[in-house]
Amino acid sequence: MGSRNQILEKIKSNKPELLDLPNIDISLFEENLDLIKEFTKKVEVVGGNIVTANSNEDIIHQIEKIFPDSKVKFSNLENTQSFNTINLATLHKPHDLENLDLLVLESKLAVAENGSIWVSDNEIPVRVLPFIVQHLVLVLSAKDIVPYMHQAYDKLSNLDSDFGVFIAGPSKTADIEQSLVIGAHGALSLTIFLKE
Amino acid sequence: MKVGLFIPCYINQLYPQVGIATIELLEKLNVDVGYPSGQTCCGQPMANSGFEYESNGACSNFVENFKDFDYIVTPSGSCAYHVKKHYDIIPQTEEVIKVRNNVYELCDFILNILKIKDLGASFPYKIGVHKSCHGLRGLRLGSCSEVVGKQYSYIEELLQEVKGVELMPLSRTDECCGFGGTFAVTEEAISVKMGKDKIQDHLDSGVEVITATDTSCLMHLEGLINRNKQPLKVLHIAEILNSNL
Amino acid sequence: MSHSKLASIFNKDEKRVDWHDKALWFVRHKRDKSVHNVKGWEELRNLGHGIKAHMLSNLDNYLIQFEENAKKNGVEVHWAANDEEHNKLIVDILKENNAKKIVKSKSMLTEECHLNPFLEANDIEVIDTDLGERIVQLAKERPSHIVLPAIHKNRHEVDELFQEHLGTKPCDGDPQYLTGEARKHLREKFISADAAITGVNFAIAETGGFVVCTNEGNADMGAHLAPVHIACMGVEKIIPKQEHLGVFLRLLARSATGQPITTYSSHFKKPRKGTKMHIIIVDNGRSEQLSRPDFRASLHCIRCGACMNTCPIYRRSGGHSYDATIPGPIGSILSPGKDLKKYSTLPFASTLCGSCSDVCPVKIDIHSQLYKWRQIITKETPQPFIKKQSMKAMGKIFANPSQFEIVGKIARWSLRNLPKAVINSKPNAWGKARDLPLGPKQSFDEWFKERENEKKS
Repeated sequence: MGSRNQILEKIKSNKPELLDLPNIDISLFEENLDLIKEFTKKVEVVGGNIVTANSNEDIIHQIEKIFPDSKVKFSNLENTQSFNTINLATLHKPHDLENLDLLVLESKLAVAENGSIWVSDNEIPVRVLPFIVQHLVLVLSAKDIVPYMHQAYDKLSNLDSDFGVFIAGPSKTADIEQSLVIGAHGALSLTIFLKE
Repeated sequence: MKVGLFIPCYINQLYPQVGIATIELLEKLNVDVGYPSGQTCCGQPMANSGFEYESNGACSNFVENFKDFDYIVTPSGSCAYHVKKHYDIIPQTEEVIKVRNNVYELCDFILNILKIKDLGASFPYKIGVHKSCHGLRGLRLGSCSEVVGKQYSYIEELLQEVKGVELMPLSRTDECCGFGGTFAVTEEAISVKMGKDKIQDHLDSGVEVITATDTSCLMHLEGLINRNKQPLKVLHIAEILNSNL
Repeated sequence: MSHSKLASIFNKDEKRVDWHDKALWFVRHKRDKSVHNVKGWEELRNLGHGIKAHMLSNLDNYLIQFEENAKKNGVEVHWAANDEEHNKLIVDILKENNAKKIVKSKSMLTEECHLNPFLEANDIEVIDTDLGERIVQLAKERPSHIVLPAIHKNRHEVDELFQEHLGTKPCDGDPQYLTGEARKHLREKFISADAAITGVNFAIAETGGFVVCTNEGNADMGAHLAPVHIACMGVEKIIPKQEHLGVFLRLLARSATGQPITTYSSHFKKPRKGTKMHIIIVDNGRSEQLSRPDFRASLHCIRCGACMNTCPIYRRSGGHSYDATIPGPIGSILSPGKDLKKYSTLPFASTLCGSCSDVCPVKIDIHSQLYKWRQIITKETPQPFIKKQSMKAMGKIFANPSQFEIVGKIARWSLRNLPKAVINSKPNAWGKARDLPLGPKQSFDEWFKERENEKKS
């Protein structure tokens, strides 16, 4: 229990009178974005690559061209099992994923204003996957792009998950003299396949 | 319309020419200007130093001198802001509220109350505008680079009508000059460094004359310019708007 | 030491000051470019302000709601009244789990509580995994900025530091190489960690979940590998609903670095199978700050660092000159609430230019609070005799027009007639680098009276 009640009591006696919670009026922000165009632009801003594709076979085909040297691979796309070189069912601990070169995940939600893509426990069989992998590939349908974060949370209110993450580009840092370096602790690259 | 002229203490004592330009300019525009002789200071030097309670007398004296005017005009954004924002330390009588509501910085008054833009001035120089902070972010005499919205600047609107003026762009449009009242002495190193950087920005842009709505910023910049013998002049905006060169 | 003393030491190396100033101005510039393209940005700031103000006015209930939901999610919730209790709770959890090696992602709260030295004293290895924080940890310093912890270090210093501690090759400060080496070094730490500690950017009362934002992915690498995840949060990190994240995630990264969103915005709700998740809710002076009507809005802060990047004083004095966990404008209104005497010079490290209040994504009236702290400090902490007396004298002079006239005359005469060496002598800090104006013969007052007399005659 610790100091729970003492802290709560102190806050209760020190807080101001109740103030109204403002409503979020989304119309203040709307500007009729061309969603695909805006999303593409922002993906580039955050350091990701964007590629269009027709089918999952097409995607796998293109991936093999883009990443010819990758050895350890995993995909959760439908009908791409032959692509996988590891079996997550036999994985003992997430640490064994350390040498994963390539991960392909399908996502159901992306945000135009910032180029981010949502993946959650529903898509990620092991949480650390999209972070520990060297090269991350996310697959997305154009119809799943929403304009702003507000609409994204609207959609998420119906998609319960125990863990989820918005990913915008590859991991990066500018901690050394403000010079941007792509590839800090997470993925070194992010490629997005956009299905129209 | 009866207008009371407030001349800030340091202008009164050290830069009387700014006061003279202000009153001449207002009279040229047919304003009925009164200059109450009992005025001293708005109280800001004590208040910004944390001694607000020592400034009560100055505040009351200000209100006493200006309570009968329709407008109070001053060639200082900083003093006008202080009266508006910080005169909550004395009892809010009708007179105090009236004074606080009706105090205006000079450019603001000319542009928005008199609604005059072209003052018939001419001043053939390359001008750099220093946007003094209290006028800018306190009184919103112009748009601030941090805030998203319409771009405007009262001082520049007036300068654009002055014949011969060439407005020079700065790389940092509204960074503080480092004066800051007693900050200038208590944080001497930073204050001087800020001033030097500000001056360099003007020099890099080819400015010949730096102007501002506040003489306090200009006094700080001028002190550095003179010490370092740099090819720049400073003039208060009233002096430029009152010129015919 | 006072801020002004530390700042003047920092200013002895003018090149470094210029570099520091430009690096941070560049970040402010990126922020401008980013936010000026957001339709409704100012309304978004209003919302951020309004949601936080509401949250504070109902904080106890939201904390209870958060705790209840977090417990339902299988998370253990702990409460700490102060830094000591926070540190002890963490060590207890770590000992219970036999955890000896810890990876930690950025958390200003654990910095505030001085967690690292406490863990080390308990024979627990703690590795800061944010690159900037790792740099300052290796240098045995503290962060000088809340978003860019090592902004005071140049690439060559990092190069030398890594050679010494990580055994890297000399690389003339190549950031790409140095970051790559840090990645290898820290991967090992992630893989072998027994527990991960993270901060919390937002905790959602409605769901019991919390969000952690990073660009590097270090919080996730730690939390998803280690068998124990401890998340530390100040009480003010609560937001009522998940939909409010839509507001704050739009504001945060744009204000911090100009990015539209951080690379990773991770939403934690339940621990993964077979692992444990703990949340530590910390007061440490926050409820005290809540009691101060003039200063409680400082608790709105979402730690974006925009006020530091914009502050012309911060940029030219460096974060360490503030000698506080949180430097810059926001630190200067938070710190006096903790120790008025120790931090009494911080509210004076400002020209009150107001830029901090205008960049703040949650509209904290920072510069007004600086002004208000000044009024309290001069009353409640010992002030130099001369300062106090001169303020008193000034107050009297300005209240009395005839005295003002006489003093003005003397001052103008002195400026005209005293030799420069006297005017600019040591007690006059103004004159060290600046000339004083020449005292004119006539004040405006005298000119005006003369003109009136001429008119009459």
